[in-house]
Amino acid sequence: MVRRSVSRYNPEWLNKKLVIGGSMILVVVLIGLVGPLFWNTDLAYVGSSPRSLPPIWALKGNIAHPLGTENMGRDMLAQLIVGTPSSLKVGLIAASIGLGVGLVLGSLAGYMGGKVDNIIRTLADSATTIPSLAVLVVIAAHVRMQDTTVMALILALFAWPHPTRIVRAQVLTLRERGYVRMAILSGANAFEVMFIEMLPNMLPWLAASYTGGISGAILGATGLEVLGLGPARVPSLGLIINQATGASALMRGLYWWWMPPILILMIIFTGFFLITMGLDEIANPRLRGVKA
Amino acid sequence: MIHRINETPKILEVKDLSVHYFTSRGAVIAANSVNFYLRQGEIMGLVGESGCGKTTVAMAILQMVQSPGKITHGEIWVDGEELNSLSERELRQLRWRKLALVPQGAMNSLNPVLKIKEQMGDAILAHERQLGRATLKQRILQLLDDVGLPARVYEMFPHELSGGMKQRVCIAMAIALNPPVIIADEPTSALDVVVQRVVAQTLLDVKKRLGVSMLMIGHDMGLQAQMVDRVAVMYAGNLVEVGPVEAIFEEPLHPYTQLLIESIPSIDERKPLKVTEGLTHDLRNPPPGCIFQFRCPYVTDECRAGRPPLEEIAPDHFVACFKVKSARLA
Repeated sequence: MVRRSVSRYNPEWLNKKLVIGGSMILVVVLIGLVGPLFWNTDLAYVGSSPRSLPPIWALKGNIAHPLGTENMGRDMLAQLIVGTPSSLKVGLIAASIGLGVGLVLGSLAGYMGGKVDNIIRTLADSATTIPSLAVLVVIAAHVRMQDTTVMALILALFAWPHPTRIVRAQVLTLRERGYVRMAILSGANAFEVMFIEMLPNMLPWLAASYTGGISGAILGATGLEVLGLGPARVPSLGLIINQATGASALMRGLYWWWMPPILILMIIFTGFFLITMGLDEIANPRLRGVKA
Repeated sequence: MIHRINETPKILEVKDLSVHYFTSRGAVIAANSVNFYLRQGEIMGLVGESGCGKTTVAMAILQMVQSPGKITHGEIWVDGEELNSLSERELRQLRWRKLALVPQGAMNSLNPVLKIKEQMGDAILAHERQLGRATLKQRILQLLDDVGLPARVYEMFPHELSGGMKQRVCIAMAIALNPPVIIADEPTSALDVVVQRVVAQTLLDVKKRLGVSMLMIGHDMGLQAQMVDRVAVMYAGNLVEVGPVEAIFEEPLHPYTQLLIESIPSIDERKPLKVTEGLTHDLRNPPPGCIFQFRCPYVTDECRAGRPPLEEIAPDHFVACFKVKSARLA
């Protein structure tokens, strides 16, 4: 079945929501990828620039620091260029691990049933009842985090139950479908049944779960960073907000300090949401309506 | 009645097949010592009311009985091979190649996210891995043509097809590997009469051209009378009569078959619907005697004491009834 691969080009992939959402995420990704080529990222660290400079469009703006600088003399643009990809990375790693584990556990539970199902289901259900942020705060306070990867791994501890439950539920219903029985009858093995017959039917749910997982992990990471429990050396979107609140940026009217990270986070969340909806329409021809 | 011995070889033979569904309140006997055979090139109808075990027998032949069901006894011979003793791996190779299914309810038997070409291709490729891309396409287009579907169906998704077209796609998939035996599980139920006719005609065409043997399950007696060569009548998991279609319709012997035939509505006369007395027994504990004793108008003490065996009273005509047997002997 190697023949049917992603190489098949479909105009369906030019779905409006997917394209808009994808471009939003692409812009955010490009900030981290292309930014360092045009801007000196060393400016993201303390004392590299003048302090509390407003952005370029304000009265006392300076071309050397277009988005302004903050209290400790860090350039905002440089901070965003360094901080945005690290936030994205946390989300991607945590959600990928979560989805991978969920896919394996969920299909095992759904396909095999019986004892295996009971054990996995109980584990996943119990895990969802744990208040994750509270546990994350405890763990984060005890683990010395040097970089964001460690944080991603900690967040992944709570990223698997949701995908597991979704995959299990889907496998359970798909297992009984006529076409799955027909596929088994016509000689498909368990692997083909799972990945050719079932997986495409689960794609909308998986995509939603994955993008939801990324957003969730980014939110979790940002939450920890805002609380000051993230890695303190590397700039990240959450850390910027943490420093801004610490320095009462809101009351002092330093809007260029706390607003940009929030804006980028909003773009990330909206972008992933649109991608989810777009993927849903692509994977599920019934949602698509009449072709032009 | 013409007494001639049919020498056509048997392509499918079901011997003493029993299937039980194990529930928490006892085993439901869905098929009990079912014996029948299918000769090469013939269509055999398997009829009976809902829940009598028709589909269970079909699934047992395909080795697809679902938990908590289990084949407890019996042999199934297809083209010289016994299926009950095969491993899952051997079955996978043999199934679609020797024994195909036209499923009940084609609406649910096609994967909504795969195009017709992909579904048909997968079924073929599962058995012929080396097939080239161009050959495969040619083959699928030919199959679609065989069942009277236009070539554009090749690129379509199932939801773009009508019910009758979906059913014909299923027929095309069933004949994809040229199997000697096809099991059609109520292939025309859930279709309107016009489409039923088209689908039935497609099945007949396919059968004529490829010479396949067919086991056609259904409860539409009118359709059965039109299509099949022989009929097997099933009641509560037991075969009660098996015989040539003309004999069964002209002179049904078993009381249950008589009731079934009488239930066919007629255009000429408006007769009151025959309401059968009594209910089918609980399938978990069948009575010791004849399986039909609670609803049979001719029941005697003999019927309550022992179960009549399925006996051949004319060539290719079997009945399980004491009354018929004694009438013949007299």
